[in-house]
Amino acid sequence: MVMGVRDWAIRFGETSDRDQTIGAMARYYTCTFLWDMGTQKVIVEMVDGKVYRINTDPQPLDAYDFALRASPATWREFAKPIPDPMYHGIWAASFRRDLKIEGNILVMMQNLRNFTVQFELLRKVGVPV
Amino acid sequence: MAKHSPVIGRYVTIDVDGYEYKVFYLRNGQGIPLVCQHTAGCHNHQWRGLLEDEEITKHYDVIAYDLARHGKSDPPLNKEWWKEEYRLTASHYMNFIVALCDALELDKPIFMGSSFGGNVALQLALHHPDRFRAVIPVEAAEHAPGFFLDWWRHPHANAAQVCASGVWDLMAPQSPDMDRWLTWHYYTQGSEVFKGDLFFYSIDHDLRGKLGNIDTRKCPVIMMTGTYDYLTPPEATENTARQIPGGIYIEMEDIGHFPMSENYPLFAVYLKEALRIIETRT
Repeated sequence: MVMGVRDWAIRFGETSDRDQTIGAMARYYTCTFLWDMGTQKVIVEMVDGKVYRINTDPQPLDAYDFALRASPATWREFAKPIPDPMYHGIWAASFRRDLKIEGNILVMMQNLRNFTVQFELLRKVGVPV
Repeated sequence: MAKHSPVIGRYVTIDVDGYEYKVFYLRNGQGIPLVCQHTAGCHNHQWRGLLEDEEITKHYDVIAYDLARHGKSDPPLNKEWWKEEYRLTASHYMNFIVALCDALELDKPIFMGSSFGGNVALQLALHHPDRFRAVIPVEAAEHAPGFFLDWWRHPHANAAQVCASGVWDLMAPQSPDMDRWLTWHYYTQGSEVFKGDLFFYSIDHDLRGKLGNIDTRKCPVIMMTGTYDYLTPPEATENTARQIPGGIYIEMEDIGHFPMSENYPLFAVYLKEALRIIETRT
């Protein structure tokens, strides 16, 4: 059974805020990103390493800095405890699978350390698709 | 009682195409020289596990150097290198390796490198087969486009973190956290040269249509690639090895693009098989 997006948002927010690796370098980790999972979209707003808000029903004009877009099947692969090859990161999946990285990629690069760590929390939290 | 490693570090000064380099290398072992090249934007600590592997060092003289501009090997001492953009070429890279082997008076060493070190291993097999007993190109392919990117040294981003986290998922998720974070740590230290190294990796290195000229009777080629390598995926390496007459391909399960650094115990299993094959062929 697929987890509801609101339950997911709570679990993801708590897990991210508790994560020691992000906490070790949290200051200035401030950005807003969209995760487009096909049948579900979320906008995560980070402020100084903490999840400030997760918008679970993004509207067309809701703003974000950058976006990751892929099929629900790909997001489910991301969320496996040990993903299969080529689903084990945003670079791998953008080079070899259907992941698209869009928007202001400079902001993603400026926050790449923590964003990479946070993305891998999906392996613990799961995905709402 | 102090816990000293048997690994010794030294410097040697060499001339390469008129460039004076003071090269740092780590060394341990005895027997057949095994010369090891780190990956782009990194340094010789990637070979720390191999350098202390007694099973190998009792038969092989393991030498892991820092390429010029990496780790403890400075940029050229006789050039105003800061006045031009660094772009590593295949020719200069090969000349560096041959000059270093000459300076150390190595008799027909085995050359092993990973990623851009693997690609130069292929170049050496093609252009200098008489100088090497064999080569082990790790995570290599005939051509590896797509990684010569401006992001590696963009002035508006923290280049150290971009390089280190940008290569994070070149490693397998199964590899130990400690080893993956050590590799991340090494990659924070080479961001100024990473892009210039990748000029060789993605642009200047192109052996398409030339692999058939490699003579593996003179210089056997044993290629190895991990299943989690998205940059040089297993099929790219296998396709490369297939085009080399007598070329051998070994697929490494559950490991990525930095096998010697991200999970040495697993890499060692495959490396020992490669060395065994070389022993039977030379």
